[in-house]
Amino acid sequence: MLQEDVGILVIEDVQAMQVQIRELLTQIGFSRIVVVDNGIEARHVLNNQLIQLILCDWHMTPVTGLELLSYVRSTMSLKRIPFIMVTAENTRSLVLEAVRFGVDDYLLKPLTSDQVGNKVYALLIKHQVL
Amino acid sequence: MNPPSVQHEKIQDFINELTGFAQTAEQILNEIQEDLEGKKGSFSFFSERMVAIRGTALQLKLDHIAHIAGLGEEIAVKGAVADSRPKIRKCVGSLWDALTTVKYLLVHYDKPTDEEQDILIHRLESTLTSLGGARPTVDESEIEKILKERT
Repeated sequence: MLQEDVGILVIEDVQAMQVQIRELLTQIGFSRIVVVDNGIEARHVLNNQLIQLILCDWHMTPVTGLELLSYVRSTMSLKRIPFIMVTAENTRSLVLEAVRFGVDDYLLKPLTSDQVGNKVYALLIKHQVL
Repeated sequence: MNPPSVQHEKIQDFINELTGFAQTAEQILNEIQEDLEGKKGSFSFFSERMVAIRGTALQLKLDHIAHIAGLGEEIAVKGAVADSRPKIRKCVGSLWDALTTVKYLLVHYDKPTDEEQDILIHRLESTLTSLGGARPTVDESEIEKILKERT
């Protein structure tokens, strides 16, 4: 698949962060970026569009990042989509919980384009999307 | 690195966004104050929003604001499980201070912290220590290690 065709879903409830994440992904060459505010909208996108990668914040309402991860992993048509938690949450017990729930990778804020690029490309290659 | 005008615009957007959160947070703190034991679970809203503020402040390179938000986050976590009214009251008082200071510092983001804010930071740190300290955290390299060990 061409990089420009890769669909990336970003779920983030702080608009200032949405802008930053979109910018970083654009800088590293992605253009099909769907940004939503919450997990309910995310489910709608996942069930109606082809998405190859999910970047999701943790602390959101009404659906947390962890709950969305759980939904993705338990839904047959979605369970193989790589899922990166993008958060400032670095409490040890909670990071371990995200790993237990099946997160593929973890991006700690503040994000840099190098850090985002390395993780995103590595996962897309590992999952044979690119 | 963003040019100063772009950075200023992004910070202004964040300040505008924070206004809504601050109003809800103030309402929640008022509710907890009126019913310390019954409403202490509402501290979780506060801690979650403080994580969001910390993350966005870090991204916008406002590290002093991120530090206060981090202290507020941990104090709110302690408040949600506090076992006495004085402890809950102490958390509420600290969170009012943290919220007020975050709001002030965001509006004056280009000025360094003054003595008054340094005193507040020290007070928040002391409060957190007296409540048992912050939860253990991991950095990026430890997260990498955890992820590798999983596979």
